[in-house]
Amino acid sequence: MNWGQLAITVVTLVSILGVVTLVLNMQYGHAGMINFGVVAYFAAGAYTYVLLTQPPPSETSLDQYVIGLDLPGWAGFVGAAIAGLVFAAITGWPTLRLRGEYLALTTFAFAEVFHSFIVNEQRFANGTRGLVGVPRPYREELSFIDYDIALAVASLLFLIIVYVIFERMVRSPYGRALEALRDDELALVTSGKRSRRFRLEIFLFTAPFAAMAGAFYVWYTTLAIPDLFTSEVTFVVWIALVLGGEGSNRGALIGITMVILFEELIRAIPFDTIRAAQIAASLEVAALGLLLIVFLRWQPFASLTRAPKRVARS
Amino acid sequence: MRVTQLIVLGFGTGAFLLIATLGFALVRRVEGFLNIAHAELMSVAAFVTWYLNAGLGWHFVLAAAVAVVVTAFIALGIARLIYDPIKHLGPPILLISSVGVAFLLHGITSAVIGVGIRSFQIPRLDAWSVGGVLVTPYRIVLLVLAALVAVGLALFLNKTRTGKSIRAMAINKELAGSRGINVTAASRATWLLAGVLAGLGGVALGVLGTLTTDIAFQQILVILAVAIVAGLGSLYGVIAAAFIVAFAMDLSLLILPGGYRPVIAFAIVIVVLLVRPQGVAGSRHELTA
Amino acid sequence: MDLLRIEGVSKHFGGLNAVDDCSFTVEEGSLTGLIGPNGAGKSTVFNLISGLYEPESGSIKLDGEELAGRSPDEIAALGVGRTFQTPRSFFTLSCLENLLASIPSRGEHLMSSILGTYRAEEEAATARAKDYLDLVGLGARSDISADELSGGELRMLEVARQLMRNPKILLLDEPTAGVTPTLQVRLAQTLRELHAQGLTVVVVEHNLGFLLDLVERVVVMVSGRVLTDGDPDAIRSDPEVISAYLGRRDGDAA
Repeated sequence: MNWGQLAITVVTLVSILGVVTLVLNMQYGHAGMINFGVVAYFAAGAYTYVLLTQPPPSETSLDQYVIGLDLPGWAGFVGAAIAGLVFAAITGWPTLRLRGEYLALTTFAFAEVFHSFIVNEQRFANGTRGLVGVPRPYREELSFIDYDIALAVASLLFLIIVYVIFERMVRSPYGRALEALRDDELALVTSGKRSRRFRLEIFLFTAPFAAMAGAFYVWYTTLAIPDLFTSEVTFVVWIALVLGGEGSNRGALIGITMVILFEELIRAIPFDTIRAAQIAASLEVAALGLLLIVFLRWQPFASLTRAPKRVARS
Repeated sequence: MRVTQLIVLGFGTGAFLLIATLGFALVRRVEGFLNIAHAELMSVAAFVTWYLNAGLGWHFVLAAAVAVVVTAFIALGIARLIYDPIKHLGPPILLISSVGVAFLLHGITSAVIGVGIRSFQIPRLDAWSVGGVLVTPYRIVLLVLAALVAVGLALFLNKTRTGKSIRAMAINKELAGSRGINVTAASRATWLLAGVLAGLGGVALGVLGTLTTDIAFQQILVILAVAIVAGLGSLYGVIAAAFIVAFAMDLSLLILPGGYRPVIAFAIVIVVLLVRPQGVAGSRHELTA
Repeated sequence: MDLLRIEGVSKHFGGLNAVDDCSFTVEEGSLTGLIGPNGAGKSTVFNLISGLYEPESGSIKLDGEELAGRSPDEIAALGVGRTFQTPRSFFTLSCLENLLASIPSRGEHLMSSILGTYRAEEEAATARAKDYLDLVGLGARSDISADELSGGELRMLEVARQLMRNPKILLLDEPTAGVTPTLQVRLAQTLRELHAQGLTVVVVEHNLGFLLDLVERVVVMVSGRVLTDGDPDAIRSDPEVISAYLGRRDGDAA
């Protein structure tokens, strides 16, 4: 078992999906919005990155995609961020006035619509086949070190930056206002503050980071296929959030690390048959579901489900 | 001609959606949350039927009956073990929890069944041609079944004591409890009923077409669409909504490629929630943040 | 000068006239009581002023500015402070944080929160908050989480939160409900001090013993409209007011 390779994989995936989990934590853990469609920002970022950085579609190749601007890597990331912002704006602005489960449903539906679009529109990004072999950026510039390590370091830096930004927000009056919003929205409103503005801001500000994580993901896998961007991603990230427990950014990272370690360790086991591997994969899904249930039962977002300890008495 | 064919198709889809969504809406109305795992229960029922029928050679009806009963008790078990203890945490937490249940059921089912396409061992009945339109007998059976289920449920909820307690609970749980209604028993009955309905839905899935372990996920959004169009929590609205959504989806084949058929359901979810969240039959109450 | 002017305001719920052509004014710097039997519409008037309900007719003007039709946060920002019958607070925050969360802060803007440019302002606000906590007697409890406060303390916290905002007018909805007599004395004292400092206060109360000794003017509402108004002594002995209270099955005059 190549521990070195495993470590690189884990670091990279934890960093990339960790950003998505942090985004989810800000949206739900701090702003109380149940987003069942985070994969859409992830996917939007990924596909935008690909379409911006791929060379233009050629007449001879079988791959169809709508555009290829052959821009350098950094432009792809910027584009991904913008795509995330746009997608969040379109899907977020009308839906944010909806309460909990309704918001969950609309975000879920939007993500599925987007996924369907990618799958069905051959001309967009090659439909179900997707795009394979997406060139990794800065190959030459980084040829002096192992590319995988460079990628791991880059994603980790990205994670750290996002973590620092989000943490600073949480520890500031902004974070305090979010807590107040969760505690008693009416009290906040009668103090002169607009609750919708906070929700919208968090939604719009955090989505681009999830989108950039999507770009990193393509950078890592060199694949832009719809199967990688299903709602399963959304729910795995949710499971990570619940496992992490506290509804804090730190908890989010703990959770995603647990999930990725679990997944990669299972993947590292050498199975004799395809059927054995398939059973393992299925049981992994079942285990994640079970963990979600168990953790939700015993450690359910203490900071979110807290109600006043007692009704006012003199 | 094509339109008529699609309408016929729509009736079958509508019948299926009616059965599938009634159980979901019942849970929403009585237990107060959206049980995403409802579709997975259907999957369980379908595969238990398949196993007994195609695997062990049992007669289809017997296999289906056993599967429905098993599913009912699985639904009850999940409710008692998983949902009831965290009920006090509110519908959003229950919603998230149901995602976990869905994952759990899906994982177990696909571990046991494996990949690949499965189908029931039921007599192959040729479609009849009625005035140039193809009508499969199974769709008629399904339509009849849906009608029976709807009527049966209405009778149960209105005429039996358990049914009336369930209705009372749906209106106001605390009030029902204080009026001496055995809330726990009514809750258990609700879950068994929802499980039966999910079971019937799962069997219907297998009758209508082939089965894969991913089939449940494809259904949940459509079920959600029907429930939302009905107005979350309204049972009568489900009847109308099931056919509205079914016809929307099937008639869309006139203008859109087949791959987009489920997207119609998703789009309906979005549009309805944004424009008229209370749906067809519901009333507006505290839907907004 | 009239700070608050309510003219011809009506609000119905279903078939019920909660507030019906209600009109009264509140002078700047005054300490006014709003009383009436149950169902008279007092809390509804507060909800109309603070924007939780929208009046179907009439106007509500604060310092000349029309409040009717505005959202609650706008109205609060224009200078209306109110407390609720059941005190509301941010129960996971400490008392100090409760006050800090009640005022606009630079740190509540995205960029500032990340860059940290709010610290100086935060320090000043903290000092001010501590003063207000002292004023309401919660000085020693400033770092205690709000969900550990007693009912009376929660009420004082709510008052402090609103004071922190420097409102033009403070609406108190049944502040003595569930409060011990000792704390009631403290509350009355605090309100007198605030009155002396020029704050305009309107108090809805059922506890007439508390109210009539405190305020300088009383407005009496019955069945959604204003019956009469005057100074406490006049109101105390007004036969119309007395019969309005006694004539109701559930009326109470403390």
